[in-house]
Amino acid sequence: MQTETKIGEPAKKSLDKFNLALRMMAGAFILFMLVSLFYLYVAVGSSWGLVAKALFDSRILGALWISVSSAFIVGAIAIVVAIPTAYVLTYNNFRGKTLMETLLIEFPQTFPPATVGLVYLLMLGPGSPIDIAYTYPAVIIAKLYVSAPFALSFTLRRFREIHRTGLDVIAESLGGRTRHVLFWVLIPLSAIDLLGGFSLTWARAMGELAATLIFAGAIQWKTEIFPVVVLTTSQSDPPLALAASLIAAVLSIVALMIFKWIVGRRR
Amino acid sequence: MSELRVENLSKSYGKMKALDKVNLTVKPSEFLVVMGPSGCGKTTLLLTVLGVLKPDEGRMYIDGKDIDSLRISERNIGYAPQDFGLFPHLSTHDNVAFGLRAKARGKSEVEACVAEMLSLVGLEGLEQRKPSELSGGQKQRVALARALAINPYLLLLDEPLSNIDEITKAEVKVNLKETVKRTGVTTVCVMHDAEDALELGDRIAVMHAGRVIQCATPTDLLKNPEGELVRELLHHLVKIQ
Repeated sequence: MQTETKIGEPAKKSLDKFNLALRMMAGAFILFMLVSLFYLYVAVGSSWGLVAKALFDSRILGALWISVSSAFIVGAIAIVVAIPTAYVLTYNNFRGKTLMETLLIEFPQTFPPATVGLVYLLMLGPGSPIDIAYTYPAVIIAKLYVSAPFALSFTLRRFREIHRTGLDVIAESLGGRTRHVLFWVLIPLSAIDLLGGFSLTWARAMGELAATLIFAGAIQWKTEIFPVVVLTTSQSDPPLALAASLIAAVLSIVALMIFKWIVGRRR
Repeated sequence: MSELRVENLSKSYGKMKALDKVNLTVKPSEFLVVMGPSGCGKTTLLLTVLGVLKPDEGRMYIDGKDIDSLRISERNIGYAPQDFGLFPHLSTHDNVAFGLRAKARGKSEVEACVAEMLSLVGLEGLEQRKPSELSGGQKQRVALARALAINPYLLLLDEPLSNIDEITKAEVKVNLKETVKRTGVTTVCVMHDAEDALELGDRIAVMHAGRVIQCATPTDLLKNPEGELVRELLHHLVKIQ
């Protein structure tokens, strides 16, 4: 029997099973994503002294410095190269453009980082005309290949959005040349997206391990990055590895939240 | 004060002919309205003259000079699109100054010209406002001031009244015509509303299916509409009794 809802009465909440199923699936995924971080906190929670110890450990401090500084440099380089690349891909049509975009954006994210490291080691390692293996620049190059696609993808999407609005055409009709369109229209209107691209590039660079380890090695205070320390101490000193991981996780979350806050303020 | 001449201009999108051998001359200082139903090719004509679209065939001349090979930035054509196209991150002042700065004019010249343009469109005192803080009518005037600031050979207006509310439309219409007439710039204005077209245009080019089927003064157009198609369009749009 159908029940009528009278005017003024609140509608009876019906049980939407599909809605419930969506909520349960979302809940399961959220749990899956957060449980590892929570476990990390619990696991270290019993021995906070280890975190303090990790903070004063020269090897960990060195790795922290190499990781953070290289991630910032990679983020900055990624933005600098993403801008002209996004411009070219937005304003030029050429044969193989879709393939080119795939190779620049999606492919580096799926290509095994260990293979990336190996390719660079063979190309720019011992025996090659330019040997930069096991140096700080090698850290930058390995991280850049794996992380820069984030910056490019953000920038390209935004440039295309602006192009669709026709603001670039108006700038041109007013006498604006390429440099005016880029510096006075595209970049200012993409500031938030550039910052978003930078922060994701930075975060990806912070977590990069295999490519950097193979191409740059693990020389303390020179090329050893945080994930490498975690990897190598996880066998010999698991509590220290956990403490180091917690520091890295907190650092990443804080940095990402600061980026998001800046982006939110600019909106 | 320049003359625009368009000869045999054609443009197709696949099998659809957006422009079909269009011939048109806009005299110096004339306000020509291009009118017609949606999809008749009037915006395509505007964008082709501006240089955004490349014609399949035909030529375009400003004061006898072939502009086909010129880039958009080299044509010196002022353009105000339907949505005004103001740069959202720039103030009214900086929007109007954009073209002057791009042309590397001196600071004092930029300031003087911006002040003159804002005075011309009656927007003094709103220099620091961002587009989001302006009404539709004010945005339209900023777009007009910005397009006129570069002292263009030609002004192209795409549906300048379509984003204006009915209450301010009459005022905007008068301001638009007065401003353009005061500067003496040759203007091509695209419109779908016949009443607005008859009110604003010195001459009206009626387009249908990519062709200009009649180009005449409002009086001539109403008195002697050429052919059943123009008669029907006018009858339908203006509701002539």
